Amino acid sequence: MEDNGFEPRILAFLCNWCSYAGADLAGVSRLQYPPNIRVIRVMCSGSVSPHHLLHALQQGADGVLVAGCHIGDCHYLKGNYMTLKRVTFVEGLLGFAGGDPERLRLEWISAAEGPKFAEVVNDFTDRIRSLGPAPSFEAVPLVRAGVAIETVAAR
Amino acid sequence: MNTKIGKLLEEGAVEGFMAYKTVHGDLMPWFFTKDNLAELEHWRQTPARYPILKLLLAVARRNPEATYGILVRGCEERGLEELYKWNQLQRDKVIVLGQACSPELASYCECSKPFPDRLDFGEAPAGIMESRRVQELRSMANGTRSDWWLSHFNRCIRCHGCRDVCPVCFCTECSLQHTELIPGEKLPPDTSFHLVRAIHMGGRCIDCGLCEEVCPARIPLRALYKEVNRLVGEIFDYHAGTGGDGRSPFTFLGEELLLPQGAR
Repeated sequence: MEDNGFEPRILAFLCNWCSYAGADLAGVSRLQYPPNIRVIRVMCSGSVSPHHLLHALQQGADGVLVAGCHIGDCHYLKGNYMTLKRVTFVEGLLGFAGGDPERLRLEWISAAEGPKFAEVVNDFTDRIRSLGPAPSFEAVPLVRAGVAIETVAAR
Repeated sequence: MNTKIGKLLEEGAVEGFMAYKTVHGDLMPWFFTKDNLAELEHWRQTPARYPILKLLLAVARRNPEATYGILVRGCEERGLEELYKWNQLQRDKVIVLGQACSPELASYCECSKPFPDRLDFGEAPAGIMESRRVQELRSMANGTRSDWWLSHFNRCIRCHGCRDVCPVCFCTECSLQHTELIPGEKLPPDTSFHLVRAIHMGGRCIDCGLCEEVCPARIPLRALYKEVNRLVGEIFDYHAGTGGDGRSPFTFLGEELLLPQGAR
């Protein structure tokens, strides 16, 4: 464990048909991975809305992992196409809004890839640990923040 | 304006026409029908902009079978294209006349295309391609940019004005009012309030700037939506408001070949 005692909280959205089974396989194979992830099982990674990703970050998650089936292997044929589109887009948006796109990660993990699951969680946890706690996403009212209310130029 | 719109109404080509009329010295959006033909005025340039598409949409929803006419600017024409694509209006049920904006308005709006393709009134001014604010934001470091945004978001009074004025916000149920996603009792609202809206604007925003204009807290929303639109253009090569059959990449699954790069 790191000296500063910071333990990342990582939210993981795992696809029921592959990544969740992959996590299961990692478990029964007795593979070690950090206990920092909180798993939410979803029926398809494509059902994870960008709202959920933002909500997780807003609620103080230090990282968000979305894991689904490899392209072409989706149980619903093309659900993960949408995942890829959305996550790519949200990463760009986070970057522009001043967030860190690295706190969002998309991985394709099949049901047979237990070792890959462990590796991804290890790697991601290390990455987030080195990044430190997520900066507050909270818009603090001016009065509470102690900032003088300046006149905002028309444009 | 008088003759062109009057003719359409008299011929019965349209049941009503959404244009402008002088009220207390200012042009206001006005709905003309056969009954108030006499109130039609000659066209004149005006810097006043209104969510005229929203008004048309409200009328068209009440009477979906009827054909209506509308006088549009460049931005409103782009909005119409999006509304067609999202099945909110039918292309053959809308008759369009176009007006150009003045060069002053174009430069104020930093509008890339301040005139519609179909131009009936006025002369097309040159477009302005670069937004100063977006350039300024791009040059900031990530941490500074986050602070900059938060310093603006914290003035939000959650009036939903940006959504209510937006010509392409047509949903009857709104994610911004989903209290589980965005806690309802907080003021200023969570940052996700603005980011959720930004997500919805991706591949949809036609860059009319009404949201920023109407915002009582003067939050520079347009820069945010400009950027998400640029992202959609860059990642998916889709540009909102353009004609043709293209649709927002978030409305269909598509082909593997067209997916963004970076298979993980």
